[in-house]
Amino acid sequence: MAAAAVVVVNKLSYCYQQGGKQILKDLSFTVEQGQIVAILGLSGCGKSTLCLCLGGIIPHYLGGAITGQVLINGRDTVDCKIARLALEVGMVFQDADTQLFSPTVEDEIAFAPENLCLPPERIRQLVDAVIGMVGINHLRYENPNNLSGGQKHLVALAAVLAMGPSILVLDEVLAQLDAAVKKNITELLLELRRRGKTIILVEHDLEAVTIADRVLLLEGGMLVMDGPSSILRNKELLAGHKLL
Amino acid sequence: MAFIEMVQVSFKYPGQKKTLLHDINLSIRKDGITALTGPNGTGKTTLSKLMVGILVPSTGYITLKGQKMSGMTLAQIGRWVGYVFQNPEKQLFCPTVAEEISFGLQNLELPGHEVQRLVKESLAYFELEHLAQSFPLQLSQGEKRRLAIAAVLALEPELLVLDEPTTGLDAYRKHLLGECLDKIVTSERGVFMISHDNNFIKKYASRIIKLENGRLTEYVC
Repeated sequence: MAAAAVVVVNKLSYCYQQGGKQILKDLSFTVEQGQIVAILGLSGCGKSTLCLCLGGIIPHYLGGAITGQVLINGRDTVDCKIARLALEVGMVFQDADTQLFSPTVEDEIAFAPENLCLPPERIRQLVDAVIGMVGINHLRYENPNNLSGGQKHLVALAAVLAMGPSILVLDEVLAQLDAAVKKNITELLLELRRRGKTIILVEHDLEAVTIADRVLLLEGGMLVMDGPSSILRNKELLAGHKLL
Repeated sequence: MAFIEMVQVSFKYPGQKKTLLHDINLSIRKDGITALTGPNGTGKTTLSKLMVGILVPSTGYITLKGQKMSGMTLAQIGRWVGYVFQNPEKQLFCPTVAEEISFGLQNLELPGHEVQRLVKESLAYFELEHLAQSFPLQLSQGEKRRLAIAAVLALEPELLVLDEPTTGLDAYRKHLLGECLDKIVTSERGVFMISHDNNFIKKYASRIIKLENGRLTEYVC
């Protein structure tokens, strides 16, 4: 039996300002539960904008002119409040600084569970579990502002995982990690997939996305390719799209 | 003579218990591409900020062209050393892309037509022409990074310090950046870059230094 489509994008077009340049043009694709999907494309082609649409930040926070639909677990993001969507779609931004605000790493991770009014003991268990998963116990009491770029991404990932979303959207999270940490996080993502999570990865590093089941290629805001990850072995094809 | 020399430099952030950098001795010559690598959180960005005078050593000293940096202003250091932050947004502040590149040149009091020519060349080289009148903070991260590099390079610093310059860049633009860095080196200027991008380092670096547990190790290329 085919897995359910947890993300449905239907003829999505978007520009940041009414009458301005179209950043996304008529995108249509679906993502099934438990898939790892990589979104590739040259810088400026709309990858991060698409991520913001998947998380509901567009249009709820950034506005702009959006047409078409983004359905998350069957619900149109336009009709859902961001707080509700955040329970289903965990996003780690390309610039992790924009989503870190607590005085310590532990507080950062506990923030969302606390706001969900979980019992204190449950929050402690969740924080311990997530810190262990991501491998940042040594950073537990650090101020996120004092961390390196790669460490901030790890903390943002941990904070998002604490909410238990079924879908993860990771915008260039692996890029700033050293080799050992990248390996650990890649294994974590594979484990999360085994547990049924759906993962959408935006990366420029083609080696980092070899774990993907499927690859979507954006060019100038349009979806020009949607295929299996075996595409990543086709050097001629990738070079033709300036990805190699 | 080393272009930048770090002599027994140790560093600890104010209020922090842990000393991040221990007794660093490092000579940076004004030739070739030096890559600094190492685990996350080990102090690479901190070391780069010490090199350009944004941070001051807790102990030890740093010289630039033989002169102690402690006796120089950031503006004086900035004439010789260009710095591109890990997060390019930190150094973008003009209303348009073209103005971002022209800002430094105008402050050097170059003639207007010369500024225009250099800006046009820079926009073309970094493929930012179509964004010339765009608001920098509305660009994608990769475009912002290209713009920050373009703006710093326009001033032709003798040493360019780049913190994770390939993050957000697709393969094609990494290649352009690599060509640009090669050109800088052939014009007798140096590059010092922090990077986790092993493929980029292998392709372009002539010297690799690793920072781990606050100490440096050098690898032969």
